[in-house]
Amino acid sequence: MSEYTVVGQTVARVDAVEKVTGAAQYGADVHPPGMLYGKIVRSKHAHANIRSIDTSEAEKLPGVRAIITQADVPSGRRVFATDKVLYLGEPLAAVAATDPDIAEEAAELIKIDYEVLPVVQDVMEAIKSSAPRLHSDDTKDGPNRREISGHIRTLSRDKENDHSDEISKLEAALENYPDEVYYNISAESHSEAGDVEKGFAESDVVVEDTYVIPRVHQTYMEPHVSVASADSSGKITVWASTQGPFAIRSGIAGTLGIPLTQINVIGTTMGGGFGGRFGVIITHVPAVLLSQKTGRPVRVQMTREEEFIDGRPAPGCVIKLKTGATNDGHILARQALAFWDSGSVSGASIGSTIRVRGVYKIPNLKVDAYGVHTNKSGTAAYRAPGAPQAIFAGESQLDEIAERIGMDPVQFRLMNMREEGDAVPAGGSEPKVGYKETLEAVADAAGWWDREADENQGWGVAVGDWTNGCGPGGVYVSVHEDGSVRIFHGSMDITGTDTAISQIIAEILTVPYESVTIRRGDTDSAPYSTGSGGSVVTFTMGNTAKLAAEDAHQRILELASERLNTNVENLELKAGAVHVVSAEPPKSISLGELAAYSLSTTGGPIVGKGSFARQPSTPALAAQIAKVEVDPETGRTRVLKLVASQDVGFAINPMAVEGQIEGGTVQGYAWAMMEEMQYNENGNVNPGFVDYRVPTSADLPTVESVIVEVPAPNGPYGAKGVGEPPITPTLATMANAVKDAIGIRITDLPIKPEKVIQALRNNGHSA
Amino acid sequence: MAKHPVTLTVNGDEHDLLIEPRKTLLAVLRDTIGMTGTKEGCSTGDCGACTVIVDGKAVTSCMVLGVTASGKEITTIEGLASDGELHPVQQAFINTGGYQCGFCTPGFIMASKALIDENPDRTEEEFRHALGGNICRCTGYTKILEAVLKAAEKIRTTA
Repeated sequence: MSEYTVVGQTVARVDAVEKVTGAAQYGADVHPPGMLYGKIVRSKHAHANIRSIDTSEAEKLPGVRAIITQADVPSGRRVFATDKVLYLGEPLAAVAATDPDIAEEAAELIKIDYEVLPVVQDVMEAIKSSAPRLHSDDTKDGPNRREISGHIRTLSRDKENDHSDEISKLEAALENYPDEVYYNISAESHSEAGDVEKGFAESDVVVEDTYVIPRVHQTYMEPHVSVASADSSGKITVWASTQGPFAIRSGIAGTLGIPLTQINVIGTTMGGGFGGRFGVIITHVPAVLLSQKTGRPVRVQMTREEEFIDGRPAPGCVIKLKTGATNDGHILARQALAFWDSGSVSGASIGSTIRVRGVYKIPNLKVDAYGVHTNKSGTAAYRAPGAPQAIFAGESQLDEIAERIGMDPVQFRLMNMREEGDAVPAGGSEPKVGYKETLEAVADAAGWWDREADENQGWGVAVGDWTNGCGPGGVYVSVHEDGSVRIFHGSMDITGTDTAISQIIAEILTVPYESVTIRRGDTDSAPYSTGSGGSVVTFTMGNTAKLAAEDAHQRILELASERLNTNVENLELKAGAVHVVSAEPPKSISLGELAAYSLSTTGGPIVGKGSFARQPSTPALAAQIAKVEVDPETGRTRVLKLVASQDVGFAINPMAVEGQIEGGTVQGYAWAMMEEMQYNENGNVNPGFVDYRVPTSADLPTVESVIVEVPAPNGPYGAKGVGEPPITPTLATMANAVKDAIGIRITDLPIKPEKVIQALRNNGHSA
Repeated sequence: MAKHPVTLTVNGDEHDLLIEPRKTLLAVLRDTIGMTGTKEGCSTGDCGACTVIVDGKAVTSCMVLGVTASGKEITTIEGLASDGELHPVQQAFINTGGYQCGFCTPGFIMASKALIDENPDRTEEEFRHALGGNICRCTGYTKILEAVLKAAEKIRTTA
């Protein structure tokens, strides 16, 4: 039995009724009087110089109220492209009209004169000197050249001694790596621990492979939308579908040069985000500009097609990975060289390449990662940004090693997992994390140890790790004279976090969950709150809520002490009333009575305040096992079993936690097996659900979730962020299962039927 | 563009409207009548978020022109609860956690209701395939299927 009465229990979510009745207000449901409809005018080419933009025909269309281009951005900050476009769908202008169909017609009437340029979409082509260049100053040395150039720089700086001989030798050595000058590079990241060359030399088995992971779209069901209203005083109100209203407020202020106080952002119910709903420029800024120009509220809403061509999806990448291990199963070294497709701007999560390390003791590790420009839109976060890609490579290759040395994949992983107290590369030591417990739990639940497989069937296992972020937040709690509790804060609910906050406060104030109500304020009224991404909310706002409730608890005891004429030490809050400990006859006063009494006291009403910024987080592990059957005639892979376990620290609402595990696992499955944004010289060629297939209920069996609870020292009740970990291992889980089924390693995702057929053919299987 | 007179019966209420022939039923429900419970997820009939029930059948309202729905009985998510009681499908989605962000939920609930009304005896596998026109990106479908099966059972046993 749990010592708690509200946390740790499955309760219906605070927004349950509004979500099942259609009452919840999403961005596109906001319709202020006089609202106009905005439409973004987009590039029809993937790479082109812009000779001219002619809006004259569009302006004549009845119902058009404004057309804006970069010339209408007073701050000069880039909102629309001017002389050059870098991808299909890049914004060039925007229209506001009295009707959405008129806005669309007007957008079509704007004449843009393009000079089409050569296009590059493949990262491995883009890094070559022969590739078209998107920006000019984008050349970087590869790892070998970088090392030598670094050495030359160090020697040149030493003015005391003459190194000219050595320098000329090194300069000659540089010529051995002519193809290691990379072009179109947007960013780079390098790290090294130990000596990988030594590690590989000492290894009995070394495996090297290249892994290709596609660009995929977060595919939140609600397309980007915002409604902006600028009034005559210059005050701007934005109803924004976003994960971070405060970030949108500062983003708009910074982009348009408007004071923060002049902008109020109202976060509307969010139709999914997964990391992709933080962008400022995509719809919010154009809506504000159109409203400023027309003096009327304007809604800018993307279509699904616009989402695909101008959303900010997850970056694809190519990872060359090498791992060495001993015959008795110790991993000695790992080295990665990764090229991340960052699209037309920088910002791909290249730093996540380090996650090829996984949760293992790897004494020698070297990682070189580059972001590469291509003619695509920029990228953004998607559920554990960068981790699914890196972990796919790492966990695929672990299975190859296990196979070469003849070890069971689960045993091999258990043997190499870091343990409490082990040194961690970033410094400090490994905290207690349920790495082994979580892997063992999934192996037991899936029946791994006595698994059976018929012909063409296979089993795959993989693990993935992620550590929740942390950020500032504030919460107020009030107790009213009927004993009810009101919560006020500013963080966006990300599928259940408002419920977790409510449960925590109900627990501490010992009131029924049903008597707690939570209200979100806008950026004008609510205390600052960090964005709802990076699995931060339960950790951050949970801790904040605890502080607020404890503050209220303190005031409650003070009031009771006055009322019951005894010291606070003799009092206990229990079941919604303050009791005098071991009083005979029993003596108590209810929260409602205390709240009523508080109104006429010197100290005033019961208001608890919680304010929190950061505490160290603890890693979380997700471990998954799949059993699949591959049809060698059609190449189709059917999932027979998919079991997902996760160390969640403490499940504040077990049903919601299961929902996160199941949803994340299915997104990982889809990345492995189905999803891929496809591009050619014209840009994205599958901008819709017919050609970009996401899973439906018909594609999958039930995902079985297993909750493992190894408490996080600083989490509320030991809770860790649960949203991101479950997507991290699934790509490798699926690839490992397919390998087990057909005996062929597929390193290029997604594992579509045609790829399986091709792999079977290449390996001498007849169709 | 010329507007045409149509009469739509939505959740039992008659609406006499003048609408452009290019406006979809979804646009009419949301923008003209102002009932925003029905959601727009793709505008191409592929995601099911805009599912409503027209004369007893689930349809994606983004693929139906408003003028062609004239004279028909339309039920939207707003019309499902009656006398302050949630419909068993709505209640089941709450009880099993069959929704997260909630954006696909109105469409899923309407599609599920139509399927259960048509045949509450479907197996899990049959419901899985029958609901293949509705996309949910949050739940992974496990708890949605659980909700639909529970609701079907409830409706079977109380019918």
